[in-house]
Amino acid sequence: MPEIDPVTISVVRHRLHAIVEEMGEAMLRTSYSQILNSSRDFSTALTDAEGRLIAQAEHVPIHVGALPWAVRSVHDYFRGRINPGDVYLLNDPYRGGNHLPDLTAFVPVFDGDRLAFWAINRSHQSDIGGATHGAYNPGATEIWQEGIRVPPLRLYDRGELRDDVAELLALNVRHPRDFRGDLAAMIGSARVGERRLGALLAEFGSEATHAAIEAVLDGAERQVRAVIASWPDGVYRGEAMIDDDGHRFRDIHIRATVTKTGSDLVVDLSDSHEEVDGFINSAYANTCSAVLVALSYLIDPETPKNDGAFRPVRIVTREGTICHPRPGKPVTLSTNCSGQEIIEAVIKALAPACPDRAMAGWGRRFRIAIQGRDPRRNRPFIWHLFQARPGGGASPAGDGWPGAGEWQAAGGIKFGSIEVAEVRFPLYFLRHQFRPDSGGDGRFRGGPGGDLAFAVEVAEPAVANTAGDGVKYGACGIAGGRDGAPHRYVLRSGDEVRVLKTKEVGIVIHPGDIIEARSGGGGGWGPPGERSAEERARDRRLGFVTGEA
Amino acid sequence: MAYRIGIDVGGTFTDLVAVDDAGRVVHAKSPSTPEDQSLGVMEGLGLLATELGLSREAMLAETDRIVHGTTVATNALLERKGATVGLLATEGHADILEMREGLKEDRYNLRLPPPEPLVPRDRRLGVTERMRHDGHVAIPLDRASLDRAIARLREEGVGSVAVCYLHAWRDGAHERASAEAVRAALPGCYVSLSSEVLPEIKEYERTCTTVVNAYVGPALERYLTRLEARLAEAGFAGPLLIIQSHGGVATVADAVRLAAGAVLSGPAGGVAGARHVARLSGIANLIPFDMGGTSTDISLITEGEAAISSDRKLAGQRVGLQSLDIVSIGAGGGSIARVDAGGVLHVGPESAGAMPGPACYGRGGEAATVTDANLVLGYLDAAGFMGGRSRLDLAAAEVAVDRVAAALGLGRMAAAEGIHRVVNTRMAEGVRLASVRRGIDPRRFALLSFGGAAGLHITDIARQLGLTRVLVPRLASVLSAWGMLATDLRCEVARTHIGDASTLEDEALRAVYAEMEQEGRARLAAARFEGEVRIRRSADMRYGEQIFEVPVDLGTVEWDAPGLRARMAEAFHDRHEALYTYALRDQEAVLVNARVAVIGVLPSLPSEPPRGRDAAAPPHGTRRIHLGTEQEVSVFGFDALGPGQVIEGPALVESSTTTVLLRERDRATVTPLGWLDVSVQ
Repeated sequence: MPEIDPVTISVVRHRLHAIVEEMGEAMLRTSYSQILNSSRDFSTALTDAEGRLIAQAEHVPIHVGALPWAVRSVHDYFRGRINPGDVYLLNDPYRGGNHLPDLTAFVPVFDGDRLAFWAINRSHQSDIGGATHGAYNPGATEIWQEGIRVPPLRLYDRGELRDDVAELLALNVRHPRDFRGDLAAMIGSARVGERRLGALLAEFGSEATHAAIEAVLDGAERQVRAVIASWPDGVYRGEAMIDDDGHRFRDIHIRATVTKTGSDLVVDLSDSHEEVDGFINSAYANTCSAVLVALSYLIDPETPKNDGAFRPVRIVTREGTICHPRPGKPVTLSTNCSGQEIIEAVIKALAPACPDRAMAGWGRRFRIAIQGRDPRRNRPFIWHLFQARPGGGASPAGDGWPGAGEWQAAGGIKFGSIEVAEVRFPLYFLRHQFRPDSGGDGRFRGGPGGDLAFAVEVAEPAVANTAGDGVKYGACGIAGGRDGAPHRYVLRSGDEVRVLKTKEVGIVIHPGDIIEARSGGGGGWGPPGERSAEERARDRRLGFVTGEA
Repeated sequence: MAYRIGIDVGGTFTDLVAVDDAGRVVHAKSPSTPEDQSLGVMEGLGLLATELGLSREAMLAETDRIVHGTTVATNALLERKGATVGLLATEGHADILEMREGLKEDRYNLRLPPPEPLVPRDRRLGVTERMRHDGHVAIPLDRASLDRAIARLREEGVGSVAVCYLHAWRDGAHERASAEAVRAALPGCYVSLSSEVLPEIKEYERTCTTVVNAYVGPALERYLTRLEARLAEAGFAGPLLIIQSHGGVATVADAVRLAAGAVLSGPAGGVAGARHVARLSGIANLIPFDMGGTSTDISLITEGEAAISSDRKLAGQRVGLQSLDIVSIGAGGGSIARVDAGGVLHVGPESAGAMPGPACYGRGGEAATVTDANLVLGYLDAAGFMGGRSRLDLAAAEVAVDRVAAALGLGRMAAAEGIHRVVNTRMAEGVRLASVRRGIDPRRFALLSFGGAAGLHITDIARQLGLTRVLVPRLASVLSAWGMLATDLRCEVARTHIGDASTLEDEALRAVYAEMEQEGRARLAAARFEGEVRIRRSADMRYGEQIFEVPVDLGTVEWDAPGLRARMAEAFHDRHEALYTYALRDQEAVLVNARVAVIGVLPSLPSEPPRGRDAAAPPHGTRRIHLGTEQEVSVFGFDALGPGQVIEGPALVESSTTTVLLRERDRATVTPLGWLDVSVQ
């Protein structure tokens, strides 16, 4: 590698960041499904030929750590047969996918006749086939009940679409037209990256571009190592708990043992619970992602999240555990649960080493999907609950964000308008406000969760599924802070009140039934005794806390 | 002689322009007076009158119209110095404002504390009432709960009240009844209703916009009332028109009523100027590039028209009103350079601001800024800055740049050049996002250089983007004030009418639009406007399951012919395909918002007389600069250049307000108005 001047390195670093951002803009503007164009559940990234991550846009943290595995799967499978104009797909969680709905498109970028980079788009599909609509199937005990599995697959061959392959995929999902529209957007987004990487190579030349990228990766590594080196050496342990898997297992633990030596970290998850029956298993690539999300939350926010930044970390798992299930186990909820609990276990472990960086836990996800017939328009509907976001965790910088969502998304998921929901669905919202007393107490208080109540105005019974966790265990407090309140969702049918479980299928909703969703609050940071009287008075004045201090 | 006067109040200076019947332009500049902007305005008017050889009273007596861009609303929001606001909301839904749709900025910065809402929770009160989306009353307005809430607001000492109830976009009766009760109980209180400020579906946008309106309204009202009184006292009898965020102008009464519509009043002047340039120069596609001290504003003029958007965020607040689509990036002349722990050079978003400013200003700033780098590189003249009114401290700039150089392990010149290149890269990416994000290829546009600092960077940015043409006006500030004078009266009227455009009856559609048009015409009449009125109809539409609406211009849709609804749907499909590469013609096209812009056309200005056919002016000197290598380049006086004169780069062109760096393969031709028209190869 030639010596490269620091200014060129800086320009290349800013350019790489701009390229992945532009890929993301293209995706946002062109995608069709609500989960992509509104909730932004997609990621864009660039890797080198070997799958080393060189840049990622700031979208869905949990996607990114898994991408290198996916690139390697594609690269190994098609070795020697990869040509310009090709497009590859993959979603299999056992080959570098997160879970089946996250489909990834890969566009190879050539420097002359040499494969130099991959431009990548990973997007959460609104449906991926399988037993239930919208991909989340709490009843699944094997991955084949969760949707169609896509191994490394060639969709375009030297610029030619393989129609039969596209048709096979579209036939296996519930909304083939939307699926094709979103797929076109994903490929378009990756091709934006291809075009701009080509321009970068043309501007700086092949050697200088690669040398600058090496320097960018090395720079990120130095930044992360400088942070880690400032923590005391030692072996740190953290544990997070999952309520259940919806089947046989209860009180499922994730255990992280983090050994910190110099500027290196070894994160060992092999002492975690055995693999389970339900869809909360986290495939190895998703587990790696979760660990790297935890690391990203502990280092400086401006450090680029690339291969260099992640070099100081080694991840150890044991096959047959919930953090490394054997192929065939269901995994769909793992981007939320147990991904979130893996993040929590790692941060809890490292909190004593860096209390000024470790923030308390964010609320867990508890979703509901309702399927029925809209009597006003006399047609079927499916509605996904995104309201009643749980609270954010407190940090040494202050109280947690109110209603900002779960740890693995950290305020990246938007809930829709209630007015629009009432126009488009047979729903009537009685209230949607913050849930008092839900944020964990502490020197800094966890953000409150939500308090939502809505009536389902159908003429004939509708059916609901739930998917989530956290009705027993709330978001963790850190550094002496208290845990946030757990979720409590109930179904009111006439005089009957029933507490909803987090992994149910086939819940019958009668006309006029009311669902009340009280979501969990974030964890608190620091001992409650250190919260000032003024702050407590303010909490009461604002109604975030109603009890006596 | 009749005058028209344009007044643009900026952060540092207030620019004033008077144009007479013959198109003759007179310019004056006075220091801005942030505590009460009307003082600086009145002083500036005095200077302007002096330029004309008149007394202020004599000038104002002969003035037909004053158009004014103000930053009062912007500053109230940015500096959080607005009114103490109370919010009345539907019971059970008082947290909409603080929930922020569940979003948090800066994903990985988990130590970012949550922002304080403009109205804290104890001043957001629930009122027992509820509308349905179809206008049916689910729960009648409960007077007792309303009176309780108002009593609480009185105790809290609010000076302004926002009312936003669910589905008030459909029926504002409960809001209007609440407003009456508030006005009766709290006389003199400023009241904003969501059904008047933004009668559109989506409660977060509507609440936020109504709250911003209530927050900035009282300050804007105080200022404009005072200014109107001062002007009347000084003999002005014509209308005072305020430039709006959407680029049109409104009367003082309308501006005060819809105060949230004035938060972009300041930068809108620059865009008006750019639109004027498009008209003058015949270049219909322009990217105005306004580089200031802390930020750079980028917008697009396409076929002579500025892009409008209703998807804006200002100072962290959503404002759902139609406004000019101005992209602001945190990079400017005062942006600070620093090297991170990974050895990467960053420029901005931190800025040295006006105080202490760049190191070379000698006001105690120690950080190296873009301006310091430009001075070290020789692009700026230490002695001749701002026409010699202030001196720059080269030694201080060198010390600051040397610190960056040491962190990078480079020499002084290489570090200064690095700062210059990195900020250019960031600004080029800003232009790219601002254009590419709308599916527009920036290469068919010309860059328009605005702001004193832009000229040193503009041709490099053009080159990075593949643009081949750059325009540099001689006096950009005059252009803003002049552009304002060339702006029409504009009333934006919108209705949310959620429905399937394929089932709505044509007659019902026409009736909705006709009613909006009437409303706009009535507002123009109230502003004593009697001239030509133009109507622009548009609609925000989407496919059934989409979330983002596509604004569809209905100008080409024949309005009175049968089959209107089908042709509207067709216009939407076409627009969707143009923007996003595909259309789904067998799917329903949902009409979300109907919009009408009612435009009162103001008499056009006479054009600026061209400058005399001066001979080409020789350079007034040379300067050693660092541009890749050390070299000696010619320095030209901007004001002395003769029309038709050609300057080949590398060279510098200087005036008291700006310096332009022409690089190798830049070729500038002087236009009849004395501007630079630069060809970038």
